[in-house]
Amino acid sequence: MAIQIVMDHTGDTRHHFDANDTRALLKAEERFRELTGLGFTAAVRTASGEAAVRRTFDPTAEETLFFPRLVGG
Amino acid sequence: MFEQLRFANDFLRRFETGYARWAQALCAPFQESLGKIEREERGLKLLREWLSPEQLAQYDANNYFDVIGSHTRKRYRIYHGIAANVLEFDNAGRRHAGWCFVPDAHLVAGDVMLAQKIVLETDERGALTVARKFL
Repeated sequence: MAIQIVMDHTGDTRHHFDANDTRALLKAEERFRELTGLGFTAAVRTASGEAAVRRTFDPTAEETLFFPRLVGG
Repeated sequence: MFEQLRFANDFLRRFETGYARWAQALCAPFQESLGKIEREERGLKLLREWLSPEQLAQYDANNYFDVIGSHTRKRYRIYHGIAANVLEFDNAGRRHAGWCFVPDAHLVAGDVMLAQKIVLETDERGALTVARKFL
Protein backbone atom coordinates (compact mmCIF):
# COMPACT_ATOMS: atom_id res chain seq x y z
CA MET A 1 0.00 0.00 0.00
CA ALA A 2 1.25 3.46 -0.90
CA ILE A 3 0.59 6.44 1.32
CA GLN A 4 0.15 10.18 1.04
CA ILE A 5 0.76 12.07 4.28
CA VAL A 6 -0.59 15.57 4.60
CA MET A 7 0.62 17.78 7.45
CA ASP A 8 -2.22 19.58 9.17
CA HIS A 9 -3.34 20.89 12.56
CA THR A 10 -3.95 17.33 13.79
CA GLY A 11 -0.31 16.39 13.16
CA ASP A 12 -1.00 14.72 9.85
CA THR A 13 -3.69 12.98 7.83
CA ARG A 14 -2.77 9.77 6.05
CA HIS A 15 -4.30 8.50 2.81
CA HIS A 16 -3.48 4.89 2.00
CA PHE A 17 -4.07 3.58 -1.50
CA ASP A 18 -3.30 0.58 -3.66
CA ALA A 19 -0.96 1.73 -6.43
CA ASN A 20 -2.11 -1.20 -8.58
CA ASP A 21 -5.71 -0.01 -8.48
CA THR A 22 -6.25 2.42 -11.37
CA ARG A 23 -9.10 4.25 -9.70
CA ALA A 24 -7.17 4.66 -6.43
CA LEU A 25 -4.14 5.86 -8.35
CA LEU A 26 -6.21 8.48 -10.18
CA LYS A 27 -7.63 9.67 -6.90
CA ALA A 28 -4.11 9.93 -5.44
CA GLU A 29 -2.98 11.91 -8.49
CA GLU A 30 -5.97 14.19 -8.12
CA ARG A 31 -5.07 14.74 -4.45
CA PHE A 32 -1.48 15.48 -5.45
CA ARG A 33 -2.60 18.11 -7.95
CA GLU A 34 -5.07 19.65 -5.56
CA LEU A 35 -2.55 19.97 -2.73
CA THR A 36 0.33 21.24 -4.84
CA GLY A 37 -2.13 23.65 -6.46
CA LEU A 38 -2.87 24.99 -2.99
CA GLY A 39 0.84 25.60 -2.43
CA PHE A 40 1.79 22.41 -0.63
CA THR A 41 5.22 20.95 -1.33
CA ALA A 42 5.36 17.23 -2.10
CA ALA A 43 8.40 15.31 -0.91
CA VAL A 44 9.48 11.70 -1.14
CA ARG A 45 12.37 9.77 0.34
CA THR A 46 14.92 8.41 -2.10
CA ALA A 47 16.39 4.92 -1.83
CA SER A 48 19.34 6.42 0.10
CA GLY A 49 16.93 8.00 2.57
CA GLU A 50 17.34 11.58 1.40
CA ALA A 51 14.35 13.85 0.87
CA ALA A 52 13.50 14.90 -2.67
CA VAL A 53 10.82 17.31 -3.84
CA ARG A 54 8.40 16.15 -6.53
CA ARG A 55 6.68 18.65 -8.82
CA THR A 56 4.66 16.01 -10.63
CA PHE A 57 2.82 12.95 -9.39
CA ASP A 58 5.03 9.89 -9.06
CA PRO A 59 2.86 6.75 -9.27
CA THR A 60 5.73 4.61 -8.01
CA ALA A 61 6.30 6.59 -4.79
CA GLU A 62 5.59 4.48 -1.74
CA GLU A 63 5.30 7.51 0.52
CA THR A 64 4.67 11.14 -0.37
CA LEU A 65 4.67 13.87 2.25
CA PHE A 66 2.87 17.18 1.74
CA PHE A 67 3.58 20.29 3.78
CA PRO A 68 2.23 23.83 3.45
CA ARG A 69 4.28 26.55 1.79
CA LEU A 70 6.87 28.20 4.01
CA VAL A 71 6.73 31.85 4.94
CA GLY A 72 8.98 34.16 6.93
CA GLY A 73 8.15 34.06 10.62
CA MET B 1 -49.10 8.83 43.61
CA PHE B 2 -48.83 9.19 39.84
CA GLU B 3 -47.90 12.88 40.22
CA GLN B 4 -45.19 12.01 42.73
CA LEU B 5 -43.68 9.44 40.40
CA ARG B 6 -43.72 11.89 37.50
CA PHE B 7 -42.06 14.55 39.66
CA ALA B 8 -39.35 12.08 40.72
CA ASN B 9 -38.82 11.03 37.14
CA ASP B 10 -38.47 14.65 35.96
CA PHE B 11 -36.13 15.41 38.82
CA LEU B 12 -33.89 12.46 37.96
CA ARG B 13 -33.85 13.37 34.29
CA ARG B 14 -32.85 16.97 35.07
CA PHE B 15 -30.21 15.77 37.53
CA GLU B 16 -28.82 13.35 34.96
CA THR B 17 -28.59 16.06 32.28
CA GLY B 18 -27.03 18.53 34.68
CA TYR B 19 -24.54 15.96 35.92
CA ALA B 20 -23.55 15.03 32.37
CA ARG B 21 -22.96 18.69 31.52
CA TRP B 22 -20.96 19.21 34.70
CA ALA B 23 -18.83 16.13 34.01
CA GLN B 24 -18.31 17.22 30.40
CA ALA B 25 -17.20 20.70 31.50
CA LEU B 26 -14.89 19.18 34.09
CA CYS B 27 -13.25 16.82 31.58
CA ALA B 28 -13.01 19.24 28.63
CA PRO B 29 -9.63 20.76 29.59
CA PHE B 30 -8.15 17.28 30.10
CA GLN B 31 -9.51 16.06 26.77
CA GLU B 32 -8.03 19.13 25.07
CA SER B 33 -4.66 18.48 26.71
CA LEU B 34 -4.74 14.83 25.68
CA GLY B 35 -5.59 15.85 22.12
CA LYS B 36 -2.70 18.31 22.07
CA ILE B 37 -0.28 15.68 23.36
CA GLU B 38 -1.47 13.20 20.73
CA ARG B 39 -1.01 15.77 17.96
CA GLU B 40 2.48 16.65 19.20
CA GLU B 41 3.43 12.98 19.43
CA ARG B 42 2.15 12.28 15.91
CA GLY B 43 4.26 15.14 14.57
CA LEU B 44 7.37 13.92 16.38
CA LYS B 45 6.83 10.36 15.15
CA LEU B 46 6.70 11.60 11.56
CA LEU B 47 9.83 13.72 12.08
CA ARG B 48 11.71 10.76 13.52
CA GLU B 49 10.76 8.63 10.51
CA TRP B 50 12.29 11.18 8.14
CA LEU B 51 15.48 12.06 10.01
CA SER B 52 18.70 10.35 8.98
CA PRO B 53 20.20 8.06 11.66
CA GLU B 54 22.79 10.75 12.48
CA GLN B 55 20.15 13.47 12.75
CA LEU B 56 17.95 11.26 14.90
CA ALA B 57 20.80 10.49 17.31
CA GLN B 58 21.64 14.18 17.50
CA TYR B 59 18.02 15.14 18.11
CA ASP B 60 17.59 12.53 20.84
CA ALA B 61 20.74 13.69 22.58
CA ASN B 62 20.44 17.46 22.19
CA ASN B 63 16.93 18.39 21.08
CA TYR B 64 18.32 19.73 17.79
CA PHE B 65 19.72 18.32 14.57
CA ASP B 66 21.95 19.64 11.78
CA VAL B 67 21.16 19.79 8.08
CA ILE B 68 23.35 20.74 5.13
CA GLY B 69 22.01 23.37 2.76
CA SER B 70 21.40 22.08 -0.75
CA HIS B 71 23.07 25.00 -2.55
CA THR B 72 25.82 26.41 -0.32
CA ARG B 73 26.57 23.22 1.69
CA LYS B 74 26.41 25.41 4.80
CA ARG B 75 25.39 23.81 8.08
CA TYR B 76 22.10 24.74 9.71
CA ARG B 77 20.94 23.66 13.13
CA ILE B 78 17.22 23.10 13.65
CA TYR B 79 16.19 23.34 17.29
CA HIS B 80 13.01 21.82 18.67
CA GLY B 81 10.41 24.54 18.24
CA ILE B 82 7.92 26.16 15.94
CA ALA B 83 9.55 29.50 15.12
CA ALA B 84 12.92 31.28 15.18
CA ASN B 85 14.55 27.88 15.67
CA VAL B 86 17.05 27.67 12.79
CA LEU B 87 20.65 28.78 13.17
CA GLU B 88 23.27 28.96 10.44
CA PHE B 89 26.90 28.15 11.20
CA ASP B 90 29.98 29.32 9.33
CA ASN B 91 32.87 27.12 8.25
CA ALA B 92 34.62 27.68 11.58
CA GLY B 93 31.58 26.34 13.42
CA ARG B 94 30.54 29.73 14.76
CA ARG B 95 26.95 30.87 14.89
CA HIS B 96 26.51 33.07 11.86
CA ALA B 97 22.80 33.89 11.58
CA GLY B 98 19.35 32.92 12.73
CA TRP B 99 16.55 32.28 10.27
CA CYS B 100 12.84 32.21 10.84
CA PHE B 101 10.62 30.48 8.30
CA VAL B 102 7.62 28.34 9.08
CA PRO B 103 4.82 26.53 7.25
CA ASP B 104 1.87 28.77 6.46
CA ALA B 105 -0.49 26.80 8.74
CA HIS B 106 -0.85 25.97 12.40
CA LEU B 107 1.35 22.87 12.74
CA VAL B 108 2.92 21.00 15.62
CA ALA B 109 6.66 21.27 16.31
CA GLY B 110 7.59 17.96 14.67
CA ASP B 111 5.89 18.96 11.42
CA VAL B 112 7.47 22.43 11.44
CA MET B 113 10.98 21.03 11.97
CA LEU B 114 10.47 18.39 9.27
CA ALA B 115 9.29 20.97 6.73
CA GLN B 116 12.31 23.17 7.57
CA LYS B 117 14.68 20.22 7.18
CA ILE B 118 13.28 19.16 3.79
CA VAL B 119 13.32 22.69 2.38
CA LEU B 120 16.89 23.40 3.51
CA GLU B 121 18.08 20.08 2.10
CA THR B 122 16.29 20.46 -1.23
CA ASP B 123 15.76 24.19 -1.84
CA GLU B 124 18.01 26.17 0.48
CA ARG B 125 17.83 29.36 -1.60
CA GLY B 126 14.05 29.20 -1.71
CA ALA B 127 13.92 28.84 2.07
CA LEU B 128 16.25 31.78 2.69
CA THR B 129 14.36 33.93 0.20
CA VAL B 130 11.23 33.81 2.34
CA ALA B 131 13.00 33.53 5.71
CA ARG B 132 13.44 36.39 8.14
CA LYS B 133 16.93 36.84 9.57
CA PHE B 134 16.99 37.37 13.31
CA LEU B 135 20.65 37.33 14.35
